[in-house]
Amino acid sequence: MGKNIRLSHMSHWKTVPYKQIDNFREYYYEDKSNICYYQDWDRILRYHKQTGYEGIELAPWDLNEILGLFGTPKDYTDFAKDHGIEVSGMFHGCDDSHIAEKHQEVVAAGRQAVDVCAAFGGKHLNTCPGNNYYGNGPLDEQGLKNIASCLNEIGEYAESKGIRIGIHNEFFCVSNKYNHRQLIELTDPRYVHYCLDTAQISLMGDDLIDFYDTYKERICTFHYKDTEDIGVPDEGRFAQDVEIQDDGHRWFWEPGEGIIPLKELWQHVADYGFKGWVTVEDDGAPDYLAAMTLSAYYIQQVLGKIYN
Amino acid sequence: MKFSFSTEVVDLDNQAPNRNKRESKYFWDEMNHLISAGGFRQIAIPYEPKWDFGGRSGIPRTLRSIQVKFGGVKEYVQYLKENGIDGIQSIHLNPTLFCQGALPMYLGAAEHYAEEAIHFAAEAGAEAFVLTATPTVYAVRKILGDKTEEEFLGMTKEMVQRLADKASDCGVKFCLKNEYWGLLRGERIEAFVADMKPNVLMDVDTAHLFIAGVDVKTFIAENADRIGNITLTDTSFADDQEAYKQVMPEFPAKRATMVFRDLGEGSLDLKAYVKAAEEAGFSGTFVINCRNSNFICRSILRARYYVDTVLTD
Repeated sequence: MGKNIRLSHMSHWKTVPYKQIDNFREYYYEDKSNICYYQDWDRILRYHKQTGYEGIELAPWDLNEILGLFGTPKDYTDFAKDHGIEVSGMFHGCDDSHIAEKHQEVVAAGRQAVDVCAAFGGKHLNTCPGNNYYGNGPLDEQGLKNIASCLNEIGEYAESKGIRIGIHNEFFCVSNKYNHRQLIELTDPRYVHYCLDTAQISLMGDDLIDFYDTYKERICTFHYKDTEDIGVPDEGRFAQDVEIQDDGHRWFWEPGEGIIPLKELWQHVADYGFKGWVTVEDDGAPDYLAAMTLSAYYIQQVLGKIYN
Repeated sequence: MKFSFSTEVVDLDNQAPNRNKRESKYFWDEMNHLISAGGFRQIAIPYEPKWDFGGRSGIPRTLRSIQVKFGGVKEYVQYLKENGIDGIQSIHLNPTLFCQGALPMYLGAAEHYAEEAIHFAAEAGAEAFVLTATPTVYAVRKILGDKTEEEFLGMTKEMVQRLADKASDCGVKFCLKNEYWGLLRGERIEAFVADMKPNVLMDVDTAHLFIAGVDVKTFIAENADRIGNITLTDTSFADDQEAYKQVMPEFPAKRATMVFRDLGEGSLDLKAYVKAAEEAGFSGTFVINCRNSNFICRSILRARYYVDTVLTD
């Protein structure tokens, strides 16, 4: 979008079943609905390009189908490049990282994720540091150190491959409000960075602006999204299966549709002079095309007046 | 004539507008009312542990989700009764989900979750447990390693017999489903079950058999003593591109199409299949499956209209 900020979009599209639909009109007439507009990578990447995105962040749970459709990571990357889109990175989850006995397994999975991310040409492995809080928290000091140890090893390997891992601390994660800053301090700043998810930090109840100012040198990328729920109480964050609410309540909204001080944060981002990928993550939105368009408008037209 | 309605009408796997709400409990609470309003009082449940892994317990498709949201299977069945659904007619597990990584891992996970689903079916008082015989051709070939497909089928057969015996012990009919994208597609299922114990029955899925090139009426007549469950699915798809070998065979890569249609929207003569089943002595329930619908309410109502005006007219 500008010389400093590159806009990416995290792929929360559920399984995209086609690489390219060539019989689009014919397919449309089978049901005369809008479903066919959301079923092939060709059109989805066109949407990315035309709404101002330069990148896409891949979800690891989609890889089996992506590789089945395209063949190799390079084939996917080439296809995306033909549409003017590059892979900015990939998401990864470090389940069981707090368990000492699982250390080797977790690190091996992390290294594998780094390799996959590299094969797709990604630069960021945005990494949830551990399991959900429910069933695993609260962590003792050693549990937190175990997570940090895994992240350090994965991060060192990642740096050697030209990839930066960024902690992406979900608001329902086992490292949480009372120790997530401590986790950052336990990790090696040479190898472990931070992916600031603006909504997750706010939902957790941390002060977004203070968090940014404190860790701006560690922040390698952003997940930019909004929320209307600042400071979810412990009983909410620590509940079972909290991510999807029974009544359909959404934790996440497009930037500008919630109440987070995103403009104030962006001023701090400008003052610091951050350069790199900013990723829109619109998980929970009912229509990703609408959500990614709304988000791009806000970041380009509203925040862009402050810094781009 | 007895019918149940499969909640596989709800597509959770593939991208579509408004898909996300399908992960919340409120959506499923209302689904019961919609199915009941469509005149169907029995449901068939696809058993999908995939949603357990992401903590999506609002989706009532596994023992875990039922335990988290309702406390247990008996409580869930009672809840269904209070919401217009008299019972769960069948549970179906497709183990393709586990077909990644290594072959032993697949076999272990498939058997584990099949056992879990059988116990779920028994506790729910379901009539049948349906197991997809093999994952997709594509997925199986990815995990074979140094084994052949025949060896894979041999290991599958041993697992199937153990599961069928467990189902018998639980008082649940055990049925094998052979999708058109599986190793036992079409008539290959007949030879597979021929030398197995009589407690291994078949689920006749009409569209799957048709796409695999089977004369469904003849198949029903010739396998009358082996049919434990009949799933009515409709289609107009002719597989002229070997879609059955593709990574997502339900979405033929060379020419996009809706493989599965609402009842009456495809080209199958389902009335003739139902008649053939009755003449063959089938006295079980017909499962109506408008799989992965684009418009769920419409699918329910289309099915009701088709049942009233074609199948039972």
